[in-house]
Amino acid sequence: MKKKIIFVCATGIATSTVVAEKVTEYCKEKGINVEYQQCNVASLPTFDGNADLIISTTNVPYKLETKVVNALPIITGFGEEELLDKIVDILKEE
Amino acid sequence: MGNQLLKIVQYVLGLGPTVMLPIVIFILAICFRVKVTKALRSAITIGIGFVGIYAIFGILTNNLGPATQALVKNSGINLPVMDLGWPPLSAITWAAPIAPFVILITILINIIMIAFKWTKTVDIDIWNYWHFAFAGALVYSATNSFALGMIASAIVAVVVIKLADWCAPAVQDYFNLPGISLPTLSSAVFFPIGVLGDKIIDKIPGLNKLKADPETIQKKFGVFGEPMMIGLILGVLLGIVAKYDLKGILNLGINLGAVMLILPRMVRILMEGLLPLSDAIKKILQKKYPGRSDLYIGLDIAVAIGNPAVIATALLLTPVAVLLAVAIPGNRILPLGDLANLAVMISMVVLATKGNVIRSFIIGIPIMIGDLLVATAVAPTVTNIAKSIKFQFPAGYNGQISSFLDGGNPFRFWILKIFQGNIIALVLIPVVGFIVYALVKSTKKAAEKANVTL
Repeated sequence: MKKKIIFVCATGIATSTVVAEKVTEYCKEKGINVEYQQCNVASLPTFDGNADLIISTTNVPYKLETKVVNALPIITGFGEEELLDKIVDILKEE
Repeated sequence: MGNQLLKIVQYVLGLGPTVMLPIVIFILAICFRVKVTKALRSAITIGIGFVGIYAIFGILTNNLGPATQALVKNSGINLPVMDLGWPPLSAITWAAPIAPFVILITILINIIMIAFKWTKTVDIDIWNYWHFAFAGALVYSATNSFALGMIASAIVAVVVIKLADWCAPAVQDYFNLPGISLPTLSSAVFFPIGVLGDKIIDKIPGLNKLKADPETIQKKFGVFGEPMMIGLILGVLLGIVAKYDLKGILNLGINLGAVMLILPRMVRILMEGLLPLSDAIKKILQKKYPGRSDLYIGLDIAVAIGNPAVIATALLLTPVAVLLAVAIPGNRILPLGDLANLAVMISMVVLATKGNVIRSFIIGIPIMIGDLLVATAVAPTVTNIAKSIKFQFPAGYNGQISSFLDGGNPFRFWILKIFQGNIIALVLIPVVGFIVYALVKSTKKAAEKANVTL
């Protein structure tokens, strides 16, 4: 199965790349095929409804249909494993 | 021996960043014990990122170059300096010879500062070390002294880490980020300006009562949040003012939209290549300080940017930046690449005003005027740095490059001028020092008061 994720950070370039690499690698290990895009926070409303999951490094100031997960543990390294497992669970449920 | 070493360095530099940077990063990655295959793969990725940057830079100059010429001819608006935005600027900095040394010295400085309890911030945000390296690269380029460049980078790193400490309590409280501080230069240096501006507005009757709802602004100005829409709108406007025909106007719009979307993606490829190295350093720092709850983890501003007031203020400021660029005498840069990144610049101002959009907007205007003039003044030096690392300029293009926000950063410019021995810059050291000291005291007092009332 192919899942679509949107990764979000300040400008959609630096920090979201860190998160995207980690998540896609982990998902691959767990047998989930991930297709993804990155964007800045303010672009997010245009992506709503077009993905299985939004993973953001920061608070998302919009009411969105798509489920949002905060990626802070992946950047700090504390609670990273748990969050990656949670993401995999969510993707498998969808 | 020394002469030979210099010759080797010059030869490696002469290879250009597409070849030189992979070699340097590969060596660094091996030093930090990244696996050879992984190091090799990421080193090559970095070179490829640069190839991509060149390709899109070519599209930018082919479109924007003639447009700025037509603009000055047909409307008298002279904005020939190109705003690449921060991503290419960071790429150029990573390719500067000073960068690897700045990484090492910043780690060292951070460890020493923590050991002596001069800071609580463990800055694991390696990618943003480029901000410190860029200050050094500017000073190195302007003074021709590598040593002065290193000292400049070191001072900048210390100041930014201290700034991160200062605003950490507010960051943790207002952005709800426990245990975190934000040593991102492009945001942190505006915190004192925000605090000062907030205090001034406090004293202005009428103005000090104004508030705006972030959500309404997000809805009305949402279009200014998307890089490609900003590029498109700016391109179309530019085409109209430069008196292009309809075909020309539409083409310029699409092409600038394309540049805004694609150019940062090329830098992202470069970023992917840097990941294993930054991961390795991050792990070393994390291992060194396990479970120290008295320390802050220093992260990129990316974790705070989603605050509604930050987004709303940045959206409001975006069209104003373009108006200011045209209106302010002495400005020569046309904001483009950094136009979608105003949230980074304004985030700490929003923090200082506790989320007041009107106040942050007002304080943002003089900051942007300063940024425009600094970005203009610093453009020759930035262009020199780019040429010194053999950054490929398209044939026939001999204009200047800069970046609105990160080229225009007033703090780095101040450091540059100090190292050039500029009298005003030197006089400003005690003046700014005193003001910041007073501001730190006042924010501390306010924090204590808040604790008492709780």
